Amino acid sequence: MNVVLVEDDILLSQHFERSLTRAGHMVVTSPHALGAIKLIDETKPGAIVLDMLLTGSTALPLLHELQSHDDLARIPVIMVTSLADDMSLATLKPYGVTHLLDKTTMHPDDLVAAVRSASL
Amino acid sequence: MKGSYEKEQGAIDYKSLSSLTIAAHELKSPLSLLRQLALSLEADDLSEHERRAIASHMKLVSERALRLTTNLTKAQRLEDGLFTLEPINPQQLCEEVVYELSPLYRACGRELIVTPRQRSLLAIANRDLLRRILLNFADNALYYADDASPVELSVSSRHHGETIRLGIRDYGPALSIDTWRSLRGRALRPEPLHARPGGSGLGLAIARQFAEAMNGSVGATRHRDGATFHVDIHASRQMSLL
Repeated sequence: MNVVLVEDDILLSQHFERSLTRAGHMVVTSPHALGAIKLIDETKPGAIVLDMLLTGSTALPLLHELQSHDDLARIPVIMVTSLADDMSLATLKPYGVTHLLDKTTMHPDDLVAAVRSASL
Repeated sequence: MKGSYEKEQGAIDYKSLSSLTIAAHELKSPLSLLRQLALSLEADDLSEHERRAIASHMKLVSERALRLTTNLTKAQRLEDGLFTLEPINPQQLCEEVVYELSPLYRACGRELIVTPRQRSLLAIANRDLLRRILLNFADNALYYADDASPVELSVSSRHHGETIRLGIRDYGPALSIDTWRSLRGRALRPEPLHARPGGSGLGLAIARQFAEAMNGSVGATRHRDGATFHVDIHASRQMSLL
């Protein structure tokens, strides 16, 4: 499955990319929302892995943009953030977020499992 | 015992507590990443090359976190005046910063360079504080730089030789004016945690404090394709006496 990974910490992005690639996914990455939009348009991914706090902005403008297009709104979004304590999946669901992972407690396999589950 | 407890509670400085919260939040990212990397080392099917790469990343992330904690300690002790100002060669300092951060930049697929200069300049500064400001700006630039262009450190003379400017220029996507104002604001004044996204601005606020302790200042310029953060400090007149 094609996965777009949006994470501004390059080392963490490399780490997530490694985990997903080992699980058999094709991963393309962007450190910011602007580049992510282009990648999502080009690749029409099966899932988007998204950090909440991106360089220069939050993920919310990107989520809004996705929701404003019928085809993109259907792509499941897995939110991975260190602010998970301050958020709830119920609040994020209207934005297309299907999974909320806490960077401070998650295991690398959790991301792979979330992507697999999102694609079902 | 109760009296002692109340005394301790009463001694809490809530302004400091807020700074502590911001610092704790800033440390969450590198600590989370360290944990992720450590967990990934548990996989049985890693090659030796992958293991080495992960171990190297863990070292770089720890160093990044330690820089922040040391900066916080230094910022707290600035009022003690436990630092001296001396003539230093800023070009040489830039080269030291590039040497120190190159492994981190390489690991992230980025490049950090110093713009060459024909003539040496001398600045009056505290070597350690100025080094920390540059490390801070260069670390920040890593988030904004694209992989096609290197981040550039440069030294220039301003105000008819009265001031030395050390700038860090990154090339990346154009930032919106709102994002830019927010970023620039963080360099000029500390903001509360809810002012995120993209960082609490703690690093930039510390850089500002360090610059002011050397009678200098920090600032930022927005470009069509990136940004420059700079620190201005006094030039040394030592050369003119020769």
